[in-house]
Amino acid sequence: MSDALPAAAIPAGNIRIESLGVYLPETILTMEELLASCRRRPRWDLERITGIHERRVAVGEYAVDLGIHAAKQALAMSRYRAEELDVIVCTSISKYNRENEFHLEPATAVRIRTAIGAGNARVFDVVNACAGMFTGIYVLQGMIRSGMARCGLVVSGEQNLPLAETAARELRHSFDGQLAALTLGDGGAALVLDRSPDPHFGFQHIDLVTGAKHDHYCYSRPSRRGPGGILVTKARGLQRKGNEHFPAYFKRALDASGWTLDDLQHIVPHQVSVRAIENGVKAVSRHLGAALPDITRCSADHYGNTSTTSHFLAIHDAILQRRIRNGHHAMLVSGASGIVIAHATYRFDDLPQRYRERFAGVY
Amino acid sequence: MRHCRIESLGISLPRRHFPRWGSIRHAVEAGRQCLKASQHRKEAVGLVVNAGVHRDRHICEPAMAVFIQHRLGINIEFQKRSTLAFDLLNGGCGMLDAAQVVSSLLQGGEIAAGLVVASETNPDRHPDPRFAYPASGAALLLDLSPWRGSGFGAFSFHTRDDYADLYTSLVSLAEKRGRIVMQRQAELEDIYLSMAGAVVEDVLTRDGLRRQEIDFVVPAQISAGFLARLPAASGFPGNKIVNLAERLPDTLSTSLFLAWKLALAGRRPLPGQKALLLACGSGVTVAAATYRF
Repeated sequence: MSDALPAAAIPAGNIRIESLGVYLPETILTMEELLASCRRRPRWDLERITGIHERRVAVGEYAVDLGIHAAKQALAMSRYRAEELDVIVCTSISKYNRENEFHLEPATAVRIRTAIGAGNARVFDVVNACAGMFTGIYVLQGMIRSGMARCGLVVSGEQNLPLAETAARELRHSFDGQLAALTLGDGGAALVLDRSPDPHFGFQHIDLVTGAKHDHYCYSRPSRRGPGGILVTKARGLQRKGNEHFPAYFKRALDASGWTLDDLQHIVPHQVSVRAIENGVKAVSRHLGAALPDITRCSADHYGNTSTTSHFLAIHDAILQRRIRNGHHAMLVSGASGIVIAHATYRFDDLPQRYRERFAGVY
Repeated sequence: MRHCRIESLGISLPRRHFPRWGSIRHAVEAGRQCLKASQHRKEAVGLVVNAGVHRDRHICEPAMAVFIQHRLGINIEFQKRSTLAFDLLNGGCGMLDAAQVVSSLLQGGEIAAGLVVASETNPDRHPDPRFAYPASGAALLLDLSPWRGSGFGAFSFHTRDDYADLYTSLVSLAEKRGRIVMQRQAELEDIYLSMAGAVVEDVLTRDGLRRQEIDFVVPAQISAGFLARLPAASGFPGNKIVNLAERLPDTLSTSLFLAWKLALAGRRPLPGQKALLLACGSGVTVAAATYRF
């Protein structure tokens, strides 16, 4: 239930991240341990190729739990109480409530609403592969701007270990399509969004586009050879096609925000792998005709690819490392199967400072 | 303020003799009809939202909306005109949720037209006998109405998450290819009916309308028993409620707009007439929206 406000009473404005919460399971699984569990170990040195050394994995908890933990973290720092949330959008791809059960109904957002006690929130799920949280932000931005909601939660919990375990069981050769599933990790992220009181802060521009002609590069479905789900990726083709097109959208997002490359303090890409991020930086440099400064934030080496949540785990790290500070400008870049290319420009308000204060003494 | 309206509507009814028609095929068929009847060129569609729940081969990535966008040929390459496609899941209320999301983006000027599609299927070789939804599809093309006051009015969504376990649908990955396992408790319809009155009251209050001003009510065609008890639960006389239970089985996410299309077949509502849409789904969620022609 959300109380719709009269649209005319609310001027259009920027949406900001009022609060951020992430959840990282404690168990660490190294690339070597995962490769050692493969029935047929690929002959590539995957750790060197991807730059991923380890990832967090959920043991004894499921995707919905990761989302719930992240949502509680976000609310703990928020000025809003759970019952004040108008909307909850859950954007997880993995919808596991129990082992080997992929839940379609009710929406995962319903379970999260129950767990956090957001009894007045309107709930639904949005699914758009790894661009899910971006899409959720875009949807909620529209609802806040039009007066349908005052504030809301975009949340995702990704439990990707089952896909990696299927790949470890089913890999047949070193060029197998499931190889990319060995780069995945688990994690949760949640954002409380509301209207920024100062239009200089918050999301300046959000742009998402789907090139549906390229829908065959990456897909996930149940395995035909045994239990579990599989993720099949034509990684080279996906990366080549993405790098061919995304730099132009990167430039477009900069222009639409009235920014130049010099205005950016951070680029937060989708954390596919360290190597893929480096290739993406090269593609942008080529397109812009100028070398990018060392402002790309990467957490893939220790979290792996946590699909929808990856940007916000990287932001979590960069804030706690005091790299992201109040007033900084960031470009968030996402590429997802579809192919979806997404860009968002964001100017931080006092969120980094508040976030660090909350975690003072913890990290 | 200009309201979001249904500019065109396409459906793909359950086809007994085409058992291989899956969710994408039904969605594309409905989408094609919808685009054919529309005054917009398909290149003008800036958003494709799929609200269907059950899908071909239980694909969970990429979004099914991407496959539908591809097969409908809506701005499929990265080019000047672009389209975003994603899935929105909320059981039987998904299409109303999606309509409200598209409405907010239309009013914010983000897009000029949006396509909401939904379709259902059960791709299992040995389907769960409790899964009773025949494969079908529905599609709405939404834009801003050129006439002041016409189009969607208020929306209202009530969720009782304490009843969430009354209706669950999941894909069991314990067996290869996955299999839908559905649980639907008998008291679910009672819960829908007990919530309907409050949702109707809420949406009418938001829109400043009285029950007498509503010309007809289009509910999800849950069952003959549900539709028979709906007049008492909702406060509308039976002759105002579209009841197609004899012709149309429950089709989950597509049910509301299959009923809408069939109820309006061959007649054009008069300007100023008002309808109320009532959807029910897992959560447990009951949703309503008003619509002025």
